[in-house]
Amino acid sequence: MQLRDYIVRRLMILPVLIFGVSIVVFALTRIGGSPIGVYLSHEMNADEVAALEERFHLNEPLVVQYWYWLKGALSGDFGYSGVASAPVSEVFWPKFAATMELSVFSAIVAVWLGLWLGVFAGTRRNRWQDHLTRVVAVSGASLPLFWFGIVLLIVFWANLGWFPVGRSTADLWASIPHPTGFYTLDAILAGNVQAFLDALWHLFLPSITLGFGAVAIITRMMRSALVEELQQDYVDAARAKGLPERLVLKRHARRNALVPTITVIGLTIAFLMQGAIAAEIIYRWPGLGRWMADAVVRGDQATIMTYVLFTSVLFLFANLIVDIIYAKLDPRVRLGD
Amino acid sequence: MAMTDPILSESAAKVRLRRQGEVLRSLMTNPTTALGMIIIILLLGMAIFAPYLMPPNIPDPYQMPRDWGATRMPPGTPGHPLGTTNQGGDVLYGVVWGSRSSLQMSLIVVSVTVVIGVVIGSIAGIVGGWIDEALMRVVDIFLSIPELIFALAVAAILGPSFTNIILSLCIVFWVKYARIMRAQIILIRQSDYVQAARVMGDSRFNIFRRDILPNASTPIAVQATLDMGNIVLVGATLSFIGLSESGIAEWGVLVSEGQAGIASGRWWASTFPGLMIFLWALAFNLVGDGLRDALDPRTEGKR
Amino acid sequence: MTAHDMPKAPVIAEVRDLRVQFDSKRGNVHAVDGVGFQIRDGEMLGLVGETGCGKSVTGRAFLNLIPRPPAKIAGGRVLFRPRGGAPCPDCAGEGCEACGRTGTETVDLLTLPPKPMRAIRGARIAMIFQDPGKALNPTLTIGAQLAEVFLQHRSEALLAEAGVSPEETGWQANALRRMAREEDRWLDRRLKGLPPLSSAAAKLDAALDAHVAAALAETQIPNPARVMRAYPHELSGGMRQRVMIAQALACDPDLIIADEPTTALDVTIQARILDLIKTLQRKRRTSVLYISHDLSLVRRVCDRVAVMYAGRIAEIGTVAQVFADPRHPYTQGLIAAVPRAGTGRGHLASIPGSVPELVDPPPGCRFADRCAHVMAECTRANPVAREVAPGHQSVCFLEKTGQTAAPATSEASTT
Repeated sequence: MQLRDYIVRRLMILPVLIFGVSIVVFALTRIGGSPIGVYLSHEMNADEVAALEERFHLNEPLVVQYWYWLKGALSGDFGYSGVASAPVSEVFWPKFAATMELSVFSAIVAVWLGLWLGVFAGTRRNRWQDHLTRVVAVSGASLPLFWFGIVLLIVFWANLGWFPVGRSTADLWASIPHPTGFYTLDAILAGNVQAFLDALWHLFLPSITLGFGAVAIITRMMRSALVEELQQDYVDAARAKGLPERLVLKRHARRNALVPTITVIGLTIAFLMQGAIAAEIIYRWPGLGRWMADAVVRGDQATIMTYVLFTSVLFLFANLIVDIIYAKLDPRVRLGD
Repeated sequence: MAMTDPILSESAAKVRLRRQGEVLRSLMTNPTTALGMIIIILLLGMAIFAPYLMPPNIPDPYQMPRDWGATRMPPGTPGHPLGTTNQGGDVLYGVVWGSRSSLQMSLIVVSVTVVIGVVIGSIAGIVGGWIDEALMRVVDIFLSIPELIFALAVAAILGPSFTNIILSLCIVFWVKYARIMRAQIILIRQSDYVQAARVMGDSRFNIFRRDILPNASTPIAVQATLDMGNIVLVGATLSFIGLSESGIAEWGVLVSEGQAGIASGRWWASTFPGLMIFLWALAFNLVGDGLRDALDPRTEGKR
Repeated sequence: MTAHDMPKAPVIAEVRDLRVQFDSKRGNVHAVDGVGFQIRDGEMLGLVGETGCGKSVTGRAFLNLIPRPPAKIAGGRVLFRPRGGAPCPDCAGEGCEACGRTGTETVDLLTLPPKPMRAIRGARIAMIFQDPGKALNPTLTIGAQLAEVFLQHRSEALLAEAGVSPEETGWQANALRRMAREEDRWLDRRLKGLPPLSSAAAKLDAALDAHVAAALAETQIPNPARVMRAYPHELSGGMRQRVMIAQALACDPDLIIADEPTTALDVTIQARILDLIKTLQRKRRTSVLYISHDLSLVRRVCDRVAVMYAGRIAEIGTVAQVFADPRHPYTQGLIAAVPRAGTGRGHLASIPGSVPELVDPPPGCRFADRCAHVMAECTRANPVAREVAPGHQSVCFLEKTGQTAAPATSEASTT
C-alpha cells in the first residue's frame, strides 16, 4: 500500500473514533446526572428548574440531547464551565497554553534523558550499569507523580527555598503582554529577560516532576530497541568492515533504534496529559489539568466532557502522526493490517 | 500415524512443564525480581496482619483515628512513630491500613477486569465476524482515551467515593486483556499443533481449554502482575485528586491531606504514605518485568 | 605434518585448537571444541557441517566477531599472516616458532587490540554474510554502506584524488582529512556545503563515488549509479548479495570468510552467485573460507574441504581425497545423503539421530551415538587426527586400528 493511501485511510477512521469517544463521554455524563447542576440553587422553585431543563433540552430523548450537544460542539460551543464561571471555549486557550508550555519542557527533559539513558543501558547490556538503569526506569514508572512532586516541593521549596510554585511572579506577569499565552515566548517577544528567567525558574520543578515518569517510558523503549538492533547482522557487518565501535553505534544501531522508539511518543503524550493533572494541582499551575481536577470534584460536566474529548483527539492525532513518521522512516514497514 | 497423537500432546505438555521450570529458575536468580518478590511479601503481610499490627479503629477500621490531643506531631513521638496528621491521625495507622485498601482495590480490579477481558476477547476471537468487528471498535474507542483520564471522568460521574474509584477502574482496565486474549486466540489457532489437534478431530472447546487458555495465560499473567501495581498507582492518583471520601485510611487520600502542612515544614504526613504507593507499584513492576523477560524466549543467550 | 605434504603456497591463516564456549541457562555449551586447520594463500577451503556444528562461530573468530559475552574463548589461537607483511619481529625474518618458520609477521586475531583489528577487518580479512537482506543496514543507501569501507581503509587515496597532499596543513585540509576518515565533527558537516570547503568536499565525494561504482561494477551489477542510491529492500536478493560481495572485495582483502553466501538466495540465483565468487577469487588469488552445509556446493568450488561435526573437525583433505575416499563415518554419511541424479525417490540416505547437545559434554567421539562403527573406546576418549594420505586426515579411532570403514549408507538409509 502506498503511504498516501495509508494516511488517507487512517484519516478516514479518525473521525469515526472521535465520534465514538464523544458518544461514550456523552453517555457517561448523562448517566451520571443532570448537566444543569452548576446552575441550580436551593432558592429555585420547580418552575424555574423546569425552565432550565427545557433550555438545555433535558425533556427530550437522549439522542436528541446528543444532537444538540454535537451541534454546539461543532460550532465551538462546549457549554458553560461552572468551575471557571465562564463558557468553556472562552477559558480554554489560556489554560491550554499553560499546559502545553509545561508539557513541552517536560518532553524535552524526558526525550533527552530517556534517549541518553536508553543508549547507556543498551550498550552495556546485562552489566551493572544496565541493571541500575533498569531500576531507575522501573522506579520512574512506579513513582506516583503527585508524591514525587510533593517530595520535590518539600525539599526545594519548603526547606531550601530555591524554587517557587505557581506559574510566574505576579507583577512580572502583569508587566508584559501575553499574545501567545506561553509565558516563555511572551517574555521573549517582549524582550524581557527577567520575565523569561522567571518563567524558566517556575517551570523547573514542574517539568522535572512531569518529565521523570516519561523518561521511564522512553528509556525502556530505547534500550530494548537498541539491544534488538545490536543483535542484527548488519551491526556485525559494519564491524566486519572495520568501522570503529563509535560509528557502529552512531550510524547503524542507534539510528535504527530511534525508529521504533518513535512509536512511544504517543504513549508519552498520553502520559504527559495524565501527569499534568497531578503536577498542576501540586504546583498551582493554571492549566487544563487543574481545571479538570476542579471540575471532577465539583461535577462540572461541560468541562469534563470537553477535556476528555480534547485529550483523546490529541492522543489520536499524536498516534496518527507517529505512525506516518514511522512508515516514512522505515521503508520496510508493512502498511496493511 | 496412529502413534502421533499421544506423542504430540505429551511433548507439548512436557515442553510447557520444562518451560515453567526454566521461568521459575530465571525469576529466582534475577536480583531485581527477587527484590520485588520480597517487597510484595512484606506488603501483603502488612495488609493481611493489619488488625494485629495496628488495632482497628472502632467502628470503621478504614476511617483514620482522630487523636485531637496529638495533632501535627513529628515522627518519633511516643505512640506515633511516623507522626500525626493535622487532624491527629496516626500516620503509621494510615500506612498499615492503607495497604489493606490497596490490596482490596488491586485484587478486585484485576480479577474483575481479567474475567471481563478474557470473556470479551474470547468471544471476539472465537466467534469472529461482525461481533468481533463491533467489539474491537469498542476496544479501539476505549483505547483512544488515556487510562487515567477515562477513569477520572467515570469516577467523577459516579460521584466521589472509594468504591466508585474501584468501579471506574474496572470499567477502564479490561481492554488490554481483551486484546491480549483475542490476539492469542488468533495466533494459536493458526499454529501447527492446534491445526494438528483439529485434524485429529478435537472439539472446539477442548482446543480452547487445553491449548489456547494455557498459552494465553502467560501474557495475561504478565499484564495482571503489572496491573496489580499500576491500578494502585492510578487509584491513588484519583484519590489524591479528591475522588475518595476524606479521612479514610488510603494512601492517595493521606498524601493529598498531608499537602496542606508542607509549607510549614510538616513533611511526614505526605511522605510516608506516598512512599508506600511507590514501593507497591515498584515491587509489582519489578516482578512483572522479570516475568516478561523470563517468558520471552528472545532474551535467552543467542548463538 | 610431514615434509612432503608441505604446500607450495604459504599458509596465510591458521586456526589452532580453538575452543569457544557459550554460557546458557542449562550450562556451558562447547560450541567449538579444539578446531584446527590451515588456509593457504589463494586457496578456497570449504568448511562443511550441519547447522549448529560451530562452523559459523569458527568463521567469525577470524574477524573477532564472536559476541563476548555470552561466548568466551576457552583456548586456542587464530593466526593470520597478511600478504606482503613485515618480517617477524621475534626472529627478524629468520623463521621461528611464533611465525611458523615463515619469517613473516604473524598476528593472533583473538588477542589483537581493537585498533589494529579494525585495520584488518574489511581491508585484509572481509566477510560475506549468509543473508544479505539482514547484513545490509535497511535505513542506509547501498552507496553509503559501501562508502564506509573506503572511508575506513582508503582515506589516503581518496584525499590524494581530492587534491589534498599529505604535507598540506591548515584548517581546510584538516577538515577534509577528518571527512575522509569519518572523523568529521559537527562543524565540519555544517561547513561542508559552504564555499571554501564545498569544492574540495565535492571532489572528495566524487572520488568516493567513483570507488563505490567501480566496486559494484566488479560484481557485474548493471547500472551501479542507480544501485548506489537504492535502499537494500529495493534490490533483489541476488543483487543484495552482489553488493555484499562488492563490499567484501572493495579493499582487495587477502582472506574472505564466506558464511553460507548462497543459502538465503533463490535456487536459480545460487549458481550465479557461486560462480561470481569463484571467478573473482581466481582472478585475485584471494583465499576464501567457504562455510556451507551443502557438500555439493563445496565440491564444486573448493580446493580443500574440512568437515565439522559438533564443534570438532571430523575430516580434512583435498576435495578429490575426501570425496573419492571419505574416511570418517560422518563424512561417509554426509556424502551418501547428497541427492544425485539417478537416486530414486524415497531412497535418500540420512544419518540416524541428531546432533548431540553440547552442554558440558563427556569425553569421547561426538559422533559415537550415531555411528554405525561405534566401538568401546569411542566413548572413553577423544579421537585424534590420523593421516590417511598426504594432506588427508580423519579424526576417528578406526584409523588407529587400521580398519577402513565400509560405506555406512546401506545401514543408515533404512530409516
